[in-house]
Amino acid sequence: MLDPSPTILSIVLFGAAMLVLFLDRLRSQDSLPPSLRYLGALFGLLALADWFSFSIAIWIMAFFAFLALREYFSLLDLRLEDRWAILGAYLAIPFMVYFIFIDWYGLFIISIPVYVFLVIPFLAALGGGEGKGIVYSIGALDFGLFLFVYCMGHLGYLAFFSVRITLLLVMAVALCDLLCRFLPLRHPLPRFLVGAALVGSGAWALSSWTGIPRVHSLVLGLIIPFMVQAGHFTLRAIESDLGVRPDALEPGRGLVLDSLKAYLFSAPIVFHYLRWFMAWGDIPR
Amino acid sequence: MKRPAWFAARALTHLLIIRPALKLIFGVNIRGRENLDGLDRFIIVSNHNSHLDTLLLFAMLPAKQIARTHPVAAKDYFSKSRVLFALVQFLFRPVWVDREGEAGQALPEIQSLLDAGENIILFPEGTRGEPGELAPFRKGIGKIAAANPQIPVLPVFLEGPERALPRKAPFPLPMWNHVTLAPPQRLRGRAEDITRSLQATLESLESVTKASRSSRPELRGPIRVTALLGIDGSGKSTLSRMLTEEYSKNDSACLISDELVLYEAGLPRDFQPLMIEKLRRWVSTQAKQASSLARYKVPKLAELLLRDRLLAEAQRWYRPRRIFMDGMPLLNLTAWSVLYKEDAFNEETVAKVLRLLSGESELSRKDPIFEQFSELGALRKLHLDRMALPDAVIFSDVPAAVCVERIASRGEARQVHETEEKLARLREGYLLLCRVLERDFDMPVLVLDGNRPLETVFAEAKAFEVKGENEPADY
Repeated sequence: MLDPSPTILSIVLFGAAMLVLFLDRLRSQDSLPPSLRYLGALFGLLALADWFSFSIAIWIMAFFAFLALREYFSLLDLRLEDRWAILGAYLAIPFMVYFIFIDWYGLFIISIPVYVFLVIPFLAALGGGEGKGIVYSIGALDFGLFLFVYCMGHLGYLAFFSVRITLLLVMAVALCDLLCRFLPLRHPLPRFLVGAALVGSGAWALSSWTGIPRVHSLVLGLIIPFMVQAGHFTLRAIESDLGVRPDALEPGRGLVLDSLKAYLFSAPIVFHYLRWFMAWGDIPR
Repeated sequence: MKRPAWFAARALTHLLIIRPALKLIFGVNIRGRENLDGLDRFIIVSNHNSHLDTLLLFAMLPAKQIARTHPVAAKDYFSKSRVLFALVQFLFRPVWVDREGEAGQALPEIQSLLDAGENIILFPEGTRGEPGELAPFRKGIGKIAAANPQIPVLPVFLEGPERALPRKAPFPLPMWNHVTLAPPQRLRGRAEDITRSLQATLESLESVTKASRSSRPELRGPIRVTALLGIDGSGKSTLSRMLTEEYSKNDSACLISDELVLYEAGLPRDFQPLMIEKLRRWVSTQAKQASSLARYKVPKLAELLLRDRLLAEAQRWYRPRRIFMDGMPLLNLTAWSVLYKEDAFNEETVAKVLRLLSGESELSRKDPIFEQFSELGALRKLHLDRMALPDAVIFSDVPAAVCVERIASRGEARQVHETEEKLARLREGYLLLCRVLERDFDMPVLVLDGNRPLETVFAEAKAFEVKGENEPADY
């Protein structure tokens, strides 16, 4: 099934975004808006999924999740006793991605919240250390798995159902971030409103291409900008607790987390919204 | 100089296998790589926590230096397995040291390598040691650097391998590694001085580059609350500020006075303000501008209740080790009733009221005390009968006449109750309160003669505080 339209569109959009940023770079020395850092990689991944093999793309996506999780763990104050639990957390990535790979929706959706969330505390308790500080460790490990593996997995599964819709999501998130960069909007509400207007009209215009009914395109136009703002807001607080300085991002010190934050929040919501109304997976039509 | 074929094999193994694997699995972030630019010969000095350390140091080297650099490795450790020994020999061509042998045995070999134009990697801590802690340096590095003043020494700090592959860990885990290079140093002088200065360099790198990770909340002991009492003009505010400053030189302390201040290292520090504090200060200005005792009463009561809430909030959010209260709401409230109900004010009532308002006892609603003090019933109905008692009390005892003089000399607008007659009654009230606290509540109480030079008073209060600190608290 060769569908060149997502690839063509992503090349055009990526080129346009880079051109805009290049022209802007000449003016100011600011850094790239966070969600645009991996834009090229995400577009490339989607093109790969469409043209060659979804399986390869999903395992590359798993590697993205690994990068995010590794950076998150590097920023945490974990104990020596947690090493088995950390190992389990890393192994949870292929565990979950395998169910996307074989398209078993039911097990994918419970893989992390049921099985991994029970195994990690067990492994942490096995680590010994008389259980001192174990609650902090379990909470931190489970939260990282949820945000950086489970939410990332939703982005992958969305691409499995429709590369075009995933492209729409990635574009919308990047657009919301670009807006924050170019419009002097300090307050989240005007940011949300401008984002909603643009994303809503864009999704409406593309609705025959994405296959999302027009009404739902408009609702997505509300959901995506809201989740982008919520993601920025939440991850900002988490980053500051982790000691990440947004003005001095370094590899291993918040670069990946900062770049993925807006995607992580919007992907699961968009996925489940569309899954319900478009009857994907095991929902009977 | 012609290099044998294995030189190329060694460099290629590092460049094509080890370096990508380190980046992919662990993550390597190198800062200050420009410090290596243009250096042809060097001695690398680094902290040692993990087997990854040598690999990471090789990962930062330019390609042409890989085959020319030699770490110092422990023969007794690596010769346990023949395969491992051969592998280490192939990858690094190390200078072997037997740690059980005599000190300084490897120095001639290191010197001959340096003379041949090769580079050396040294871990002056000698062993991997405790994860994340810099152990004292051995003497060897100073001797080598002193003997070769023309070769620059490159201090490198590694952060991360102590978590990726610590000692005694059964397996490595993917965790980021940060390699920080300091500018190369050309050192001259005595060997001991060189060792010391290198250790200082690595320590400063450690303090700069160590990650400020999200840390677990520290478990601390209970917070000791000291209340300073006294009538207006008795110098209790000055005294409480001096005590807080003194105490904060060693640990965090908080002063709740007209305003709330957190102290650290003897100085006030910035902190996230509390809403309740803003409210309290507004109410407090209302009380200060009151024209009659009746108008003074309500804002003052509100201010005291808010001050009590503030104490709880400060304990909850800032968790200082000590809190000094300039006036304690519950005690002030009780002592102040002498102004309104002097006839009913005796030791028995005071003890009863204190127990009631601090939530220690439950009295029946028909108790005569509610008839006597109608305010108590109101406070109880509003659930304001859980006020805090301090852990120690200092009362600055100054005659009312002196106080009135002091207030007048301040030149501020006089508050309604600041007359000699009222202050004298208030002072009697406080003294009675102190007796009750000492007798019925087993509380350490210090009644200071405040009509003396400030230094004497302060020294006495400080001695009392230190004594109370060392007594085992009853919690």
